[in-house]
Amino acid sequence: MTPAGDNLDSQNLATESVFAANFCLPLIRTAQNPDGGWGFQPGLRSRVESTCWAVLALRAQESSASLSDIPARGLEFLRKAQLADGSWPASAEVNSGSWVTALACWVLAADARTRDAVAAGVKWICNDWPRDSATWRRWRARLFSPRKITEHNDSYRGWGWTPRTSSWVEPTSFALIVLASTPAQILPKSAARRRQLARRMLYDRMCPGGGWNCGNPMVYGVPGEPLIVPTVWALLALRDAPKRPEFVMSLDWLERNIGKARGAGSLALARIGMEVAGRKWPQGAPTIAEMYGRNEFLQNIAVASWVCLAARQRHSWLTGNVAEFS
Amino acid sequence: MRRPDIALVPSFQRAASRVVIRRTANYQQDLAAVIYEALAVFDLPVKGKTVLLKPNLVGFDPLCEMNTHPYVIAAARESFLRLGAAQVLIGDGPAMDRDTEAILESVRLREFTGPLGANFVDLNLDDVKRVALRTRASRLKELYLPKTVLGVDFLVSMPKLKTHHWAGVTLSLKNMFGIVPGGCYGWPKNVLHWAGIDNSILDINAASRPDFAIVDGIVGMEGNGPIQGTPKPSGVLVLGDDPVAVDATCCRVMGLRPEKVKYLNAAGTLLGHLDAAKIQQLGERVESVRTRFAVLDEFKELREPQGGVWN
Repeated sequence: MTPAGDNLDSQNLATESVFAANFCLPLIRTAQNPDGGWGFQPGLRSRVESTCWAVLALRAQESSASLSDIPARGLEFLRKAQLADGSWPASAEVNSGSWVTALACWVLAADARTRDAVAAGVKWICNDWPRDSATWRRWRARLFSPRKITEHNDSYRGWGWTPRTSSWVEPTSFALIVLASTPAQILPKSAARRRQLARRMLYDRMCPGGGWNCGNPMVYGVPGEPLIVPTVWALLALRDAPKRPEFVMSLDWLERNIGKARGAGSLALARIGMEVAGRKWPQGAPTIAEMYGRNEFLQNIAVASWVCLAARQRHSWLTGNVAEFS
Repeated sequence: MRRPDIALVPSFQRAASRVVIRRTANYQQDLAAVIYEALAVFDLPVKGKTVLLKPNLVGFDPLCEMNTHPYVIAAARESFLRLGAAQVLIGDGPAMDRDTEAILESVRLREFTGPLGANFVDLNLDDVKRVALRTRASRLKELYLPKTVLGVDFLVSMPKLKTHHWAGVTLSLKNMFGIVPGGCYGWPKNVLHWAGIDNSILDINAASRPDFAIVDGIVGMEGNGPIQGTPKPSGVLVLGDDPVAVDATCCRVMGLRPEKVKYLNAAGTLLGHLDAAKIQQLGERVESVRTRFAVLDEFKELREPQGGVWN
């Protein structure tokens, strides 16, 4: 990119930063519930997932000491929401763990006082095997299924949205991100093997031509259409191998498709993915502020949080590095 | 508040159902007039009530090939307001893509219904309530369902007329998968696949049976639906107060045998009428609008015979 392009890019980022500070941070701050957590939208009951995104966004954005109580109360909500088996539920009404366990571990890993909670969560993650890739299931499918519906390799195993179901791209990416940033002392022995299998699973599930959808790259021989959100999470999970052809192809796909983004969530995550991978933001891409004018992000706290995270120049929040948050 | 006890009624105790078929050549017609006129037949109890329209918003779809067309959604909304509804909400929980805003923008819903902030409910993200399942078709014993769905006075399922590569067809009953929240079950809602798609459809509809169905069959989808199939112009809107009867009629319009669709056949025992003799057909006759839909080989037994020969 030319220096002029660099300027354009930094201007764009500055605009997005101002927008995040003026619109998204106030939305997040005022939407915090009395229990310390956040619902997916203002006025809704606190959930682990929306609370995780809000805390990540606030920690990455806020420098004023007077505001530090808000993420702290969010962390307290997360600590209290953990189940006895070490997992976190998607909703307080649910009594079993889910993909949000990885998100909670990710957020809490920055705090040394929650080391035990994170260790229990990571152990739960490593013990949670998807059922579809069990050996006997694969053999049964091979023997009795009249026609192969999908073409991916079921011996590679990641993580599902809920326990004992199938591997999917986003929960697998979340688990990989948290396992990569968890201190080695508290990682279970199985973590290395799980990471290896999960990485293979993500590479195998890439759509033909690059990018990921939820995890079905081909159904009945028809290629699936990649989506921005799972593509970015997979790229972030695999970012330590940036020269792999799958990574490069998928990043290229992302760059080509940013102009087609219609949701602020997709656009914000695309910016994070591009920046972490060292790519410049394409000229003429839509801006997040334009999108806000349409539907105000449907008041989605996760989207507002991703916009705040995208407005950062450094992305150490990805590794749970607390240094930038202080 | 809707009454869940009227969802499950043995077929022999249930009064005949009414289904209206309207020939509708394209989306440029005055759809609000067509739908309002058709709704008037039913004398629906919506005056002063909150109505939730549940369209089928499957994914990013600028050509409106896989989603319920926004013209139809907007026309239904206008019609229920004309019938005196105090509030008409639109809500869905897309299954494969968590960027609901992108899906809504791709079909330009906002341009037809006005700002979505106060009118649209993302059912993936709504507060939930535990619902103990009254049926045991699947292994699921309970579901967490959106409070909005459970709290409205009148629920309208608004699918698109499509074949489905795992369930055979996706119509007003299958469309109810969209009320199961991704915020609890993920994207996709894989728990339902593990519990069995056909059986999950039955349990979900027993827990929250739509009060009415409006099917967008103006352009449907055949073959490898619900996403990767081929658009199929069919030129109909199908409406009714019994989702099973509406779906059965849609199958007949598609040249398919409803009794061969597993979940629909089972739904005919407790959730509504499958038998054509128990369905009062209004508007167009099925034969006059029949448009044969292609299905995957896995579902070839669904096809109605043509001239005594199975095609």
